[in-house]
This record gives sequence, C-alpha cells and structure tokens, in this order.
Amino acid sequence: MTSPSGPAAGPAERQEPPPYAGAVARGVWDAGADLVGYVPSASVAPVIGALVAADGGADGASARVFPLSREEEAMGVLGALPLTGRFGAVVMQDNGFGNALTALTTFNAAYHLPLLVVANTRGGLGEYNSMIHTLCQHVPGLLERTGTRVFELDRRSSPDDWRAVVGEAGAHARMTFRPVVVLTHFWSTDGKGA
Amino acid sequence: MKRIEALEILAAATAALPVVVTCAATSRELAAVADRPNHLYLLDAMGLAGSVATGVALGLDRARPPAAPGAPASSGAPGPLKAVAIEGDGSLLMNPNVLPTGGFLAPRNLVMVLLDNGVYASTAGLPTYASRVDLGALAGASGWNVLRAAGPGELGEAFGRALELDGPAFLHVRIEPGNAPGVPRLLEDPVVIARRFRDWLAARAATSGETAGQVAS
Repeated sequence: MTSPSGPAAGPAERQEPPPYAGAVARGVWDAGADLVGYVPSASVAPVIGALVAADGGADGASARVFPLSREEEAMGVLGALPLTGRFGAVVMQDNGFGNALTALTTFNAAYHLPLLVVANTRGGLGEYNSMIHTLCQHVPGLLERTGTRVFELDRRSSPDDWRAVVGEAGAHARMTFRPVVVLTHFWSTDGKGA
Repeated sequence: MKRIEALEILAAATAALPVVVTCAATSRELAAVADRPNHLYLLDAMGLAGSVATGVALGLDRARPPAAPGAPASSGAPGPLKAVAIEGDGSLLMNPNVLPTGGFLAPRNLVMVLLDNGVYASTAGLPTYASRVDLGALAGASGWNVLRAAGPGELGEAFGRALELDGPAFLHVRIEPGNAPGVPRLLEDPVVIARRFRDWLAARAATSGETAGQVAS
C-alpha cells in the first residue's frame, strides 16, 4: 500500500534523521538484517532515508536496501532469505497487512521462516484519512489471530527504547523461527503519524 | 508438450540447482517426477514462486548484494549459484509485480521458467489472460532476458542458454492444458520442505564454495 509520496530524496538522506526514525533504522541494522525491502510510505520515508544513508546509498536505494512494489511480494522476497542462511527485514505501513496476510501465513509462518517487519501505524491518533482506520485499527488483532507476534512502540518510550525493541524483535524472530512485527506509532513523537 | 513432460526435462537439468516451484498441480507433478531436497514446493501462496526465488537468488549472491539502480549487471567474476523458479501463467498473473521487481533489482542468478497453458489448470481449467496477453513480452518490457520454447527439444536447449545469461532470465514455455492423471497430492509438512531445502542448499554451497552455508540464527 503506497502513500502519495515516494522514497526519500537524496539530499534528505544526507541529513541526520529525526531521532525516532533514526532509532528504527539503527534497530533494523542491530537486528542483523542482511537485506531490507520496503514499500513506500510518507511516514516511514525518514526511516528508509536513514537506512539507505547508513548503507551508502542514495535516492531510496542502496546495496542492501531496496523498494518493492507490494507487501506480499516483500514477504516472499525477504522471507526467503533464511533459506540461504541470511536474514531479511521489511519496512512498510500497517494497512499493507491487508495485502500481505496470505503470504505471511502460508509462506513465512507455515515454512517457519524468521523475518523482521517494521510497520508504521495509520488510522489512530493524528490520522486525517477518514477510511484507513477501518483496516488499521484491527491490524494488531488480525496479526495476533494469525499467530504473528506483535510488539508496539509509541510516544511513551524513548528513541533508545525504540531502537532496542526493533533490534531485539529481530532476535526474537530468529529465536522463534517466525515472522515478527513491530508496529510503530509515530504520533506525538518527532515523526509523521499519518 | 504436456506439463509433466516439461517438468521431466527441467528436473533432469536442475539436480544441482535450487528450484522454487509454484503450488498445486505443478508441485505435485514435479514431486512425482523427482522428489528431491533441492525443490522448494510452495503448497499454497499462489503467485509467490517468483518472489521467493528472487529472495533465494539475492541471498545466494553474497559477493554482490542487489544492485542500486544503474549499477552494472556483471562484475566479470564467476557468478553465484542460479536460483530457478517454475511458475504457471495463472500464478504469475496473481503477482505480476515480480516481473518489474526482477527487472529493477536485476539479480544476475535468477531464472524463471513459465509453463504457460493458458488456463488455471488446478482450478477447473478456467482461462487466464495468457491467451491474449504475451507474458514473455511483459517480462521483456520489465527488463528480463526472454527466451521461448515450445517443444521438448527447444525447452532443454533454451534452459541451458538461460543458465548462461547474466541477469534475470525468463523462459516462456507454451504447454498443453491439463494435469497428469493419477498424481497424488503433496501432503508434506512445509516446515520439513523448508528444512530439507535449506540443508541441501547449505551442503551444496559448502561443496561449491559459492555461498556461505550457515542458517541465520
């Protein structure tokens, strides 16, 4: 599910990211991700920019960070990495779980393939879109019902905590041989909530 | 050419390569031809074979992670192990995004074989778009190297050429509609399928020296 804006622009990648977005990016690398795929979203653009910049890339792509067109495709591409001894991460927006659920359940979960998914949330506090909550408010419940482990982060904890949780979620995915999702609520942090 | 005849040719040519195969009749028939640990059968996840094979290809190419846009396609060094996807036209049309993604990321070690019979053969033989839409042309427009084959002789020869190409290769194979009779369902636990595939790939890498072999943990 794409939002109107595209990947982070080159000049923005050279700037220091906002602390919460930077913390998510550092957490993804801390998690041991070999490759990172993303589906564009305005809310996670600073995260993507930080990931790309840290990997020496520009214009929304680097050697280890690249865009994908849709969330189920991301589950297949990054989810396959453990078959080769590598580990992948996906950065996306939570309404994309509507696209991803079949792949997530019948591939990643069914074949016991660890994967770190970090998704910004929509449809909650700070939302302007009048329909997006109809899916997004149910995402935690949908994921829990499929047996997918979910950790949530919001304004009540620090960037350091966000980094630690994202990094440890990657370890949890590998430890449990399952996909693990971190939902990041950017509202009332220094990031874009909707 | 029937699907199972095509699969016999492909099985003979891929004993040493990782093969990701689409769900239902295609997986069953490949398992009936040769049930080997280098086969990753997707028991459901229709449309995902190309995406999963893309991930396998990227994972195997440790010397060269996916290129940033505009990067050269070849370093001139020996290439990594090829990853092969066996896909159907109905399944590909469930996730045609795999074609532009392959063209954009340009994994040098990805080969997709499309067995195109123009119908959803596992779903009552209902027609796909393939009777009016040239999926090979779609792959070509997306940046894949496209080869085509119709008969058994052409398939073997074209697959050999596809393996030699540097960059994503798309082999479009026209086959007859229909499923082979008497082929049993594939009832294996997907966890077992994944584990034996992973172990085979690690052992294959260890003997070839083409990739590292340890599972992410």
